[in-house]
Amino acid sequence: MVQLFINGLIAGSLGALVAGGLALVYGVLGVFNLALGQMALIGGYSTWWLHQSLHLPLSISILGGLLVGALLAWLTFEIFVNPFYRRHRFLPLVTTIALSMILDGAILLLFQERPRSIVPGLKKMVQMGDARISMEQVGLILITFVLLASFAYVLHSTAFGRKIRAVVQHEHAAWSLGIPAHILHRLIFILSGVLAACGGIFLGIDQNLTPIFAFPLTIKAYAAIIAGGKGNFWGAILCAYLIAFLEQFVVGIHWFGLFYVPAGYQQSVALVFIIFFLLFKPSGLFVRSARAA
Amino acid sequence: MKYIRLLSVTLLLALVACGQPAGNGEPVKIGLITPLTGEIAALGVDISHGAELKLAEMNAAGGIQGRLVQLVMEDGRCSGADAAAAIQKLINIDHVVAVHGAGCSSESLAAAPIAEAAGIVLMSPSSSNPDLTSAGDFFFRTYPSDDLKTTAMAQYFAQEGFKKVAILSEDTDFCQGVRMGLLQKLDEGAVVFDEVVDPNTKDFRSLLTRLKKLDFDVLVANPQTPPTGAAMLQQMREAGFQQLVISHDVMDNTVVLELASEAAEGFQVINVPTVASEAPFGQKFIAVYGEPQANMAWGAYGYDTLGVLAQAIEKAGTDGAAMRDYLYALDSYPAVVGDISFDENGDVLGIHYALREVQDGAFVQVADIAVE
Repeated sequence: MVQLFINGLIAGSLGALVAGGLALVYGVLGVFNLALGQMALIGGYSTWWLHQSLHLPLSISILGGLLVGALLAWLTFEIFVNPFYRRHRFLPLVTTIALSMILDGAILLLFQERPRSIVPGLKKMVQMGDARISMEQVGLILITFVLLASFAYVLHSTAFGRKIRAVVQHEHAAWSLGIPAHILHRLIFILSGVLAACGGIFLGIDQNLTPIFAFPLTIKAYAAIIAGGKGNFWGAILCAYLIAFLEQFVVGIHWFGLFYVPAGYQQSVALVFIIFFLLFKPSGLFVRSARAA
Repeated sequence: MKYIRLLSVTLLLALVACGQPAGNGEPVKIGLITPLTGEIAALGVDISHGAELKLAEMNAAGGIQGRLVQLVMEDGRCSGADAAAAIQKLINIDHVVAVHGAGCSSESLAAAPIAEAAGIVLMSPSSSNPDLTSAGDFFFRTYPSDDLKTTAMAQYFAQEGFKKVAILSEDTDFCQGVRMGLLQKLDEGAVVFDEVVDPNTKDFRSLLTRLKKLDFDVLVANPQTPPTGAAMLQQMREAGFQQLVISHDVMDNTVVLELASEAAEGFQVINVPTVASEAPFGQKFIAVYGEPQANMAWGAYGYDTLGVLAQAIEKAGTDGAAMRDYLYALDSYPAVVGDISFDENGDVLGIHYALREVQDGAFVQVADIAVE
């Protein structure tokens, strides 16, 4: 049980980082960014490149990876989102799909087909009761937690967060009160890129990076933000963890002492569960009451 | 009106020109389908390099009956749908006389019926799914069927006294072929754990948590691609398992050593014997392409497959049916990987297996395995 819980935490932290980035952009700008999985991978690959090819220390490489993630997100915003999203909020859906294809190609060109691991080989494992976990994984889980918690703090308990929420609620009203909405938009987008890059680095340290991993990453984040309630940052993160826990527990538990769910159903069972929940709470699991029109 | 008539005549002429068989001065076109992108691209790149090496040698020696040979390469992406589109294009647009491929079993399973219908010989250097044995008269392979590989594995387990076997497979044609073979050949009750995961799954931790409660002697890691297998190995060792892990051709790959490093230590594969870098073929290959991306064996199979095809064209001409008959009757072809011929199903004869183990970060051949 403890081991399953830890497994869920590891998988969930990865999901939460990407879903958090997605929810932030969707919540504030109402924009779907379909290239987020690729942005995560590029963050991971840059870290791999800095660490394994340039032999920089891991911490500096990670900073570099985050910087690349931020830069990429900023460029994405200026070129693929900003010129379009005011005209129609579905336009960036198309432009970011295009971007995801461009980035897929760029990853192949820059980093080749071969799978890459930022920290290859065995990790040092620590025994905790029945469970085993590596120091890297403890670090990744904690960092994710601290990162998301500080986001929440900023969003809910600072003047800056209040401004962001004001922009979410009513952009023009926020403008008229002197809140620079356009700068905040940019900032939010860049932050989402940084969160995604964190996800990519996480993946590269814990498992390995391959170019085809981007799309599944995006899809799971989408499931999380839809289940969590549209534009609800907390809901998205909780649902990312929930999906991960479901996936781990579905195959890991000896159900009623009778049978195991075959591993092939791991992903579908979790998503079917979400669909089932949405049938009863269509506005999302973590939205208290839907305002029906 | 006049213009329209003129245009249609021109179009008609163009169509007739397209349909004409290649004249004597034109190159002999041979298609090649293998995964050139995707997680198993390293294998496809080695195969295509091997084929290109043979191509260069043949053309330097004057081609086939004075005609130069041209390879038309298509990326099958290890997917049936892509391979089907690729072979349609090769047959109908490029008018190739034979096809080298496909790489992955999924690709060959999809491409073989199309080759059969068109009467074009399709010869795979690497597809090992047992179902391909009955994939039609025009499908051949220079690579042995997994039916033999699983027999070799079962034989090895019996010899070592492994009574309880755990199998962890990916849900692809190739892996399912291996899995079904093992389930058939191992004694009833010998398989204590048998799980199939979605393709490209990288998180096996909860399955391994379950495996912890079981008593088993050996784990068969049965992935489609090296990164998946490396994740299996790594997570298994991190979970503290000490048992032997054994796998097959996919994992006999330097990418695994790179990704899993010390987690791969002691890990074994049952595979066709590789070709040493010091052997004459290895030297030739390295001189042009450097160290292979996955395994020198793939380069050799790519090289030999084109060699067999070229000999069939040379002796029987470019007609598909004549080539097919020639290949079934082929006595023996002196290939890099051994003297090969084909049985009545187009499966290769003359290849045996080897047991290889990772020792100090490199694959070492520890035993030959003869399969009757």
